[in-house]
Amino acid sequence: MSIREKLLDFKRRLSDRKMYSIVIVVIAAVAIWGITQYKKAADLRQELDNQYNRAFYDMIGYVNNVETLLVKSMITSTPEKTASILQEAWRQANLAQTNLGQLPVSQPVLANTSKFLTQVGDLAYSLNNQNLDGKPLKDDQYNLIEKLHGFAVSLNKSLNDLQSQLANGRLKWGELANKGTRLFKKTSQEMKMQQFETIDKTFQEYPTLIYDGPFSDHLTTAEPKGITGDMLSAEQAKESVIKLFGKDKVKAVELTGQNDNDPLRTFSYSVKFNNASDDQIATVGITQKGGHVLWMLYNKPVAEKKIEMDEAKELGKKFLEKHGFKGMVDTYYLAEDNTATINYAYQQDNVTIYPDLVKLKIALDDGEIIGIESKGYLYSHRERDIPEPKITQEEARSKINPRMEILSSGLAIIPTDYKTELFVYEFKGKVNDNDFLVYINAETGKEEDVLMIVNTPNGTLTM
Amino acid sequence: MRKAKIALIIVLVMLLVSISFDGGEYMAPSVPMLDLNSEGPDVSDMQQRLKNWGYYKGNIDGFFGWDTFFAVREFQESHGLEPTGIADPKTLMAMGFTKLRRPRTVYAQSAKGISEEQLLARAINGEARGEPYEGQVAVGAVILNRTRDPKFPKTIAGVIYQPGAFTAVSDGQINVPIDSNSTVVKAARDALNGWDPTDGCLYYWNPATATSKWIWSRTIVKKIGKHYFGK
Repeated sequence: MSIREKLLDFKRRLSDRKMYSIVIVVIAAVAIWGITQYKKAADLRQELDNQYNRAFYDMIGYVNNVETLLVKSMITSTPEKTASILQEAWRQANLAQTNLGQLPVSQPVLANTSKFLTQVGDLAYSLNNQNLDGKPLKDDQYNLIEKLHGFAVSLNKSLNDLQSQLANGRLKWGELANKGTRLFKKTSQEMKMQQFETIDKTFQEYPTLIYDGPFSDHLTTAEPKGITGDMLSAEQAKESVIKLFGKDKVKAVELTGQNDNDPLRTFSYSVKFNNASDDQIATVGITQKGGHVLWMLYNKPVAEKKIEMDEAKELGKKFLEKHGFKGMVDTYYLAEDNTATINYAYQQDNVTIYPDLVKLKIALDDGEIIGIESKGYLYSHRERDIPEPKITQEEARSKINPRMEILSSGLAIIPTDYKTELFVYEFKGKVNDNDFLVYINAETGKEEDVLMIVNTPNGTLTM
Repeated sequence: MRKAKIALIIVLVMLLVSISFDGGEYMAPSVPMLDLNSEGPDVSDMQQRLKNWGYYKGNIDGFFGWDTFFAVREFQESHGLEPTGIADPKTLMAMGFTKLRRPRTVYAQSAKGISEEQLLARAINGEARGEPYEGQVAVGAVILNRTRDPKFPKTIAGVIYQPGAFTAVSDGQINVPIDSNSTVVKAARDALNGWDPTDGCLYYWNPATATSKWIWSRTIVKKIGKHYFGK
């Protein structure tokens, strides 16, 4: 062979080997990387599986306990013992619901189960309060617990079925949580959804529960009391919007939506202003009946603080007077980002009525009102028939923990968790360095609530 | 070809090694040594093991006190290690902590300093970054409305992190940092203070991207920006 051919041959051989080696090394590197990634993913999936399993088993345990406790509450004889059992049932139902919320089953499938657990817990809590007062369960309450116990039994059974399937290894949570693996979607995933849907179907005849608690069914259909006036059209309601800001400031008002669902039908508008650019708009919700403003949000940038809080409170009060919210007095406030959010409550005959609440956001540069929230007021406001308190202020004061130093007192009406109202004496006092508000029922002398006031640099908050 | 063969063998060996990789990374303690007054889940883990083997008889409290010290020393004595009472890397390895790494937090920090407002703002940021202000407050209001509804978890974190509830949480967009001139923090604040432009809605979805048939069975209350809000 000639030299040239020898060289070419050598070159070819060298590059062949090099190519082989390079290709092999590259494939190896990719394979190793792929394997380690897969292992990591498998580990993570296992850990996730473990978390879901833990939540599931914990939930089953708690549901079991709820069922037992409901049975026990039906056979205890003294109100005190019933109270302690119901209190425990409430706690267990709470824990069951918390763990339920951690499971990767889509929310609509488990909605009824969640609702059941929340309401059972809540009902147990409210009945517990009744028992603590020494009153035993009434007949209809007893029947209700019996019915709920029935549901708990069937829920228990379904969950136990699911648990055995899980133990057999036929179901894996990780698959359910894993989205992009349509290729590997096994029937177990469908089966699990079906199982949960079956569980949910056992609640077909779930009764509407009405009791004293925040999750009672009667709250979803509460009628607003504070809305007076006639039903308006969208055009007529626009007038309310223009009046809210002032005719000379408003450039254009546009209807953006209409909510025809009861209990509160509204129109929504967006407002453009003369002295601002077109994208700095305010949005407003107006009730269809009477054209009252339900909420307003004006996202105006506020540069610097020029107005003090006291002046802001006065400005807010004047604004409310002008727009149909008369007799309001400020109760709490929060100041952040040069904006003040102030709560105003209605005052009738020197009684502060907290349920009739309006919140205002006031810009602290020019005092402009940039936010209104009046749902509380519109739902509850009316002229009330306030009775004379059955106990005197001194008597109420004597019910308070003697360690508290009383700073001020007055009469008030406060809302409860389930939308009823209580007529109370309000005492503001101090213990050590903490401020408190204590509410003593003006008719029974019972201590209704204690709130702690947290004074932050941004304002006073109650906890 | 011999060179290639050698390369292939080396590669196979490497593959075998990586397959036998323990994955023990996830069981590793985060510190190379546990000493008196150390605390944390690694200490609890160690105490649990020592208890199982009968060396430790105290409480599993995650705090390396004198009881733990003596237990560690006993373990070291019976395993031929230097009985210092301090759990050095060798001791930890003997206990079964297979892989040790540089200090790094293994467990999630409890949410100190991440107030509800911040969490809500991050959720709004993930879900409604480019939406009008009303839309951002609306997303916050939906989350709060859910906490008050018996069908959903009772806490804000519970609602936000409920598996499958929000796509922005599932795909990590909730961790996108909030732009300094973004309005989501203000929107979160307003939602927490009671503003609800949705009149009590529990659901919202983007009609252009929503694939679930179920969501369309919800009553539509209104449309804000890109989203329909419903009950």
